Amino acid sequence: MQKRISLLALVLIVALLVAACSAPAAAPAAPVATTDAAASDAAPAASGDLLAEILARGTLRISTDPAYPPQSELVESPEKPASTKCTGEERTAAEFQGFDIDAAVEIAKRLGVEPCFVTPDWTLITGGNWAGRWDLSIGSMTITPERMEKLYFSQPYYTTPAAFFVHNENTTFTAPADLSGKKVGACAGCTYESYLDGTLAIPGETIDFVVTDAEITGYDTDTSGLQDLALGDGVRLDAMLTALPTGQGYIADGNPVKQLGDPVYFEYLAGAIDKGSPLDTTSFRAKVDEVIQAMHQDGTLKQLAEKYYGTDLSAAAAPFDIAGLKQ
Amino acid sequence: MALFAGNEVSAAGFDLTDPRDQAAFAAQLAAHDRRQKSWQQFKVGLVWLAMFMLLGIALRLLNVSYLYIFEHFGFVLEGIWVTLGVSLASITIATILALLGALGRLSPHAIFQGVSGFYVSIFRGTPLLVQIFIIYLGLPQIGQQLKAMGYPQLGNLFILGAIQSGILALSLNYGAYMTEIFRAGIQSVAKGQWQAASALGMSHLQTLRMVVMPQAIRMIIPAIGNQFIAMQKDSSLVSVMGIWEITYRANRFARKDSMFMEMFLLAAAMYWILTMISEWLQARLEQRMAQGEHR
Repeated sequence: MQKRISLLALVLIVALLVAACSAPAAAPAAPVATTDAAASDAAPAASGDLLAEILARGTLRISTDPAYPPQSELVESPEKPASTKCTGEERTAAEFQGFDIDAAVEIAKRLGVEPCFVTPDWTLITGGNWAGRWDLSIGSMTITPERMEKLYFSQPYYTTPAAFFVHNENTTFTAPADLSGKKVGACAGCTYESYLDGTLAIPGETIDFVVTDAEITGYDTDTSGLQDLALGDGVRLDAMLTALPTGQGYIADGNPVKQLGDPVYFEYLAGAIDKGSPLDTTSFRAKVDEVIQAMHQDGTLKQLAEKYYGTDLSAAAAPFDIAGLKQ
Repeated sequence: MALFAGNEVSAAGFDLTDPRDQAAFAAQLAAHDRRQKSWQQFKVGLVWLAMFMLLGIALRLLNVSYLYIFEHFGFVLEGIWVTLGVSLASITIATILALLGALGRLSPHAIFQGVSGFYVSIFRGTPLLVQIFIIYLGLPQIGQQLKAMGYPQLGNLFILGAIQSGILALSLNYGAYMTEIFRAGIQSVAKGQWQAASALGMSHLQTLRMVVMPQAIRMIIPAIGNQFIAMQKDSSLVSVMGIWEITYRANRFARKDSMFMEMFLLAAAMYWILTMISEWLQARLEQRMAQGEHR
């Protein structure tokens, strides 16, 4: 009896295996049709359109990583709003502050909905496949070809110059080109690292790789790299490549580092929307582009940039040709 | 030792053939045992005090702003409820999974043995952090495929929120480790018990439920406590999905203000206090479980 059951089980498992092996053959054909089919099932009330769902829901769910002042940081004892449509796992705008937060709140306002924030790890945001957990990333994200595989980019809302920083006491380096072959830090997986290994490509920009063969150290965040640099000239790092505002902020905090030369390239920073969204994003994307362009035209973004960075970092982003990205 | 001079217990003066003297001598022996025990506890306590002082000196030597820690204490403390909630939910589900897993491992049927063996192997053999990412990112893709195939309800089951994903990953991972604990617990019950039960005409399941499990549980419960302590710390990994538990809260301020040592020390202290409370509860539980053993 026992033997027979075991045998039956084995046959079952073999059958399962056969089924599992034959499934992938059918799957690849599906994705093209998937988005539409999935969309119609997901939210019948919104009839598969993300913008309609957002308007019906009354909230715009935005991802942010509040570890990057002045873009996004936590407010310690926020005044919680009396009533909110944000769910338990979402956070209200009152709990954050920064340039990204203000920009996101303004976008939500112009859509006529309440902004709600979620705070997943940066890699989870850039990896796409958000599974409809949030609608939009306003996280100063650089437009890159790799990210364009997973995400749609909006009209950029500002730019960030990337610059090298060295220790205060250093006198041997006079220009970024002197850093070739030296120990240079950058945040791991960021555009700065791609610049150092010579693979960075920014759509709409020709990049001059002045530093070659650098010994790259990847960091979880820019700040930990800058801390290593501040330990002493050449102790752990000879230089750090990071955003101009990040490095300048670190200097303003009284740390012994200085900027080396002019910015080596500019990044366009834009909102991002999931390509793998279960809903149709076409009208939402068009609306976000329109809202951001309007925020450029009426000077809202210029004002915000000046408030948080001391200079207008938004000007170069307004003429960016979003249609040229061919997303 | 001078302190306890004259504390030695001697049978001299007792007539050990007299039952009353026997009892008195036994009482004296027991009292001596107790004294020895509390003396030992006192000495261990002194060593702890010394260790704390050393730790205090080390903390003084660190270049750390204690004012900053104090200012952010409340904000990080709020995360303790999330840490506890996620850990409690996960250990509960893990316990159920482990029981099923162990029964499978010990089952005579190939299918149960195979499934549970595979489960333990895959979840014990891969890092928890990777499992969290795969569950958070991968399951929704399966869910969307299922929806596309025309099973919307089934598909929605696969699309989990951050907290749900975290609990699922922790449960599956710890369930795999605990399967082995449960298996060992069940196997620690003597074979003779099975044979005796079988001789009384009890079925396999009856024996397991009424004879073996009550004895095995005594071995298993302390181990679960141990896993719970480990889990409270591993739950910090769910912070990658943006769950605002202790580590997430500490890390945001650490990054924002470059106060890494400050915030990590604060988080470490909170986990330590949390696990010390669990350890204390576990010790009490163990005492209770041991009551039947000696009286």
